[in-house]
Amino acid sequence: MIQTLLLISGLGMLTSILAGLRAPKVWLAGVLAGAAGAIGAAITILSTGGEWNSYNSAALGGEAIHLRLDALSALFLALVGLVGGAGAVYAGEYWSETAHPRSAAPGRVWWSVLLLCLGLVLLAANGLHFLIAWELFTLAAYFLVTLNRRSPEVRAAGWLYLTLSHLSALSLFAFFAIMAARTGSWELKPLLDHPELAPLFWLALAAFGLKAGMFPLHVWLPSAHANAPSHVSAILSGVTLKIGIYGLVRFSGWLPVPPSAGWVIATLGVASAVLGVAFALGQHDLKRLLAYHSVENIGIILIGLGFALVATQQGHAAWGRLALAGGLLHVWNHGLFKALLFFGAGSVLHATGTREMSRLGGLWRAMPWTAALFALGAVAISGLPPLNGFVSEWLVFLGLFDAAIAHGPAAWAAIPAIVLLGVTGALALACFAKVCGVVFLGAPRSAAAAQAHESGPGMRGAMLVLGAGCVAIGLLPLLFWPAVARAVAVWQPVWASPAAPVPLVALGSAHLALAALAVLAGVWLWRKLQRAGFKRALTWDCGFARPTARMQYTAGSFAGIITEWFAGVLRPVRHESRPEGAFPAAAHLAQHTPETVLEYFATPVGGAVQQLAVAFRRFQHGRVQSYLLYLLIGAAALAAMVFLGGNP
Amino acid sequence: MSEYINLLIGIAMGLNLLALGSSRLPTLIMAVALQGMALGLMPLLMETEADWRLVLVALATVAGKGLLIPTLLRKAMRAAHIDREVEPFIGFVPSLLLGAGGTIAAVALARSLPLLPEHSGSLLVPGSLASVFTGFVLLIGRAKAISQVCGYLILENGIYLFGLLLIHYTPLMVEAGILLDVTVGVFIIGIIVDRIQRAFDSLDTRKLTALRE
Repeated sequence: MIQTLLLISGLGMLTSILAGLRAPKVWLAGVLAGAAGAIGAAITILSTGGEWNSYNSAALGGEAIHLRLDALSALFLALVGLVGGAGAVYAGEYWSETAHPRSAAPGRVWWSVLLLCLGLVLLAANGLHFLIAWELFTLAAYFLVTLNRRSPEVRAAGWLYLTLSHLSALSLFAFFAIMAARTGSWELKPLLDHPELAPLFWLALAAFGLKAGMFPLHVWLPSAHANAPSHVSAILSGVTLKIGIYGLVRFSGWLPVPPSAGWVIATLGVASAVLGVAFALGQHDLKRLLAYHSVENIGIILIGLGFALVATQQGHAAWGRLALAGGLLHVWNHGLFKALLFFGAGSVLHATGTREMSRLGGLWRAMPWTAALFALGAVAISGLPPLNGFVSEWLVFLGLFDAAIAHGPAAWAAIPAIVLLGVTGALALACFAKVCGVVFLGAPRSAAAAQAHESGPGMRGAMLVLGAGCVAIGLLPLLFWPAVARAVAVWQPVWASPAAPVPLVALGSAHLALAALAVLAGVWLWRKLQRAGFKRALTWDCGFARPTARMQYTAGSFAGIITEWFAGVLRPVRHESRPEGAFPAAAHLAQHTPETVLEYFATPVGGAVQQLAVAFRRFQHGRVQSYLLYLLIGAAALAAMVFLGGNP
Repeated sequence: MSEYINLLIGIAMGLNLLALGSSRLPTLIMAVALQGMALGLMPLLMETEADWRLVLVALATVAGKGLLIPTLLRKAMRAAHIDREVEPFIGFVPSLLLGAGGTIAAVALARSLPLLPEHSGSLLVPGSLASVFTGFVLLIGRAKAISQVCGYLILENGIYLFGLLLIHYTPLMVEAGILLDVTVGVFIIGIIVDRIQRAFDSLDTRKLTALRE
């Protein structure tokens, strides 16, 4: 059954890779078949538990091919299938042949390669094959990010992404190589009886943390996600970041971890959550803002994972199960609503040609579907009931509450984590109030925004699917609980327990009631409005004689107070010339928030490395004689090493 | 027997110093040729019963290193109209001092190496190390392609000397093969030297830096 489904999936993907250049329809069918197969296999595993193994006699790189699908990888595979399929439908219209004649066809092929390799990373049960798939999906993602590579910004973002991805791959090479050297095989399996492997966790944290966009390793993320085409941003943010999370969860479950691992992950998670949303508040670029929210949500997932690790270390602690379940459910949720939000942002970009929020405004009139679905995603990402964001954050909160009540050393960490997670949720709400208010409400701030048009059925359909996913998880959390519980049981078999936590049952009913109430209230309001009739007026008509669109709150002024609170970290840059005198001639104010870690840390370090490299370049000057001298020195040094230290 | 071998090796080590100290290319080539001939005779002295193949290989070595290769080099030198100056990076006196220091170091090093008892008294190992070092000094310290070829040949002589340690265990055919390689190598270098001369109007390898990427 699973074999067949995965075979269909693989064949669909291969067909789509071959058909991508010439036949967009065949490509779409192939991707959808592949996605459906993957989702089907994942659902089968998630609903029945157990694990699927395929031992193959064929070998790649001298290692027999072994594929494995268990509940944990199935959880991520379902997300790959769903976002990958929806993104393909979306891309057909968003990155169409007519609008992008040069890059549409390569975009399709790389999309299929990316999905196939993501699937292989999740299925690989051999370190070598994991690395191969990992490297290929990184490359595919690079080519997708730089589809529009005529723009210098896109090229710069692509380079940064490629460089840091390879830094991550490098750590991963070391990780797998040391593991293989110590255990004598590349096979990936539980190795809890090798306590000497514990320090490898730090390599895994660096590699997977970089890929997941964990603070402060997120420097590549904002520019890559902002400059990529929107369907690519959606899959990068919704799915490929989660592959980093997958690696962390997988190997923290299979390998022994150092005692401080849980604390470090939880601390980094809190830092990512709070700072991610703080940076997001300072952004004026719609997609860059969404990218920073990815850092925030990765932080929430990491808080769940970190406290689960702490719980494991403290013996049988039931709250660890809740925290991890919350984190894993948030993997799905963030994948759904972040992809939805990026699709929405792409829809706005498609309609107006700009990501700059200060040029948008009033779009809901022209794009009601996009506005409504974006708002749905915004509610979900802000963690408001009754949508899915609340469910997973609630589970993390429950875990932290129970940890605080349990009176251990974890209690002292859980209380500040609870407070900061709450702050994160509040700031996220403020941020999305800003986005929705500035982009969709008010009056259009530019001609492009005034002439916006709604996107077509393909783009709307893709958004609808993801929006439906958000609503489904929000209203029927119990339906999805067993799947998450099985993934948790793979991570920590001791925590296997089929019963859903009582608060989740209550939450499910509360959400249903809340949704029913909201629908009823909506219907009642609509009818009342229809009966009373309403008249359209200017949005900001507050007694001004001649209101203009420039009188509205801008994105910067909306978030100004909150960004001031975080000025120490954000370091916003202001350029202003104040109006002076009785008849001021011209005044001007501009503010932007740079990527602090990149500008104040990564760039100087990179510059130093480059200077060092240039200094070393002087040794390569083309004089044969000196090269021979190097040879002689090298041989003499080797001889000295053998001579002085070689006698055992 | 051993005294004759040591005498030959001593001569070879002296020729090393001559090669380092000479300022003219013909002298350098001559030193290399003499060294090759001296070393070519060694297998005859080392083996007690003279096999006809051994004699053949020894004669081929003497002919190759002592006559053929120097002739090729002289021809290349004439064909490319090279000045007879050596043009050192490392001056003659420092080269000589380096060579002398290297020879002393080679003797000292050979003392501390775990050698077989039958080799411990002979100059084979120090001679071989000193020649390798001399070859390197010439390769590093001389600008002209021809003098570098000479350095390479001296280096090869050092390796050949070391190989003689194993004369009882390796067939001489191996040495014959190496000899053939060296000859062909020098032949090709002779052609290349001509090409460099035509392309760069000089045989100064310093100008080859223009070829780097």
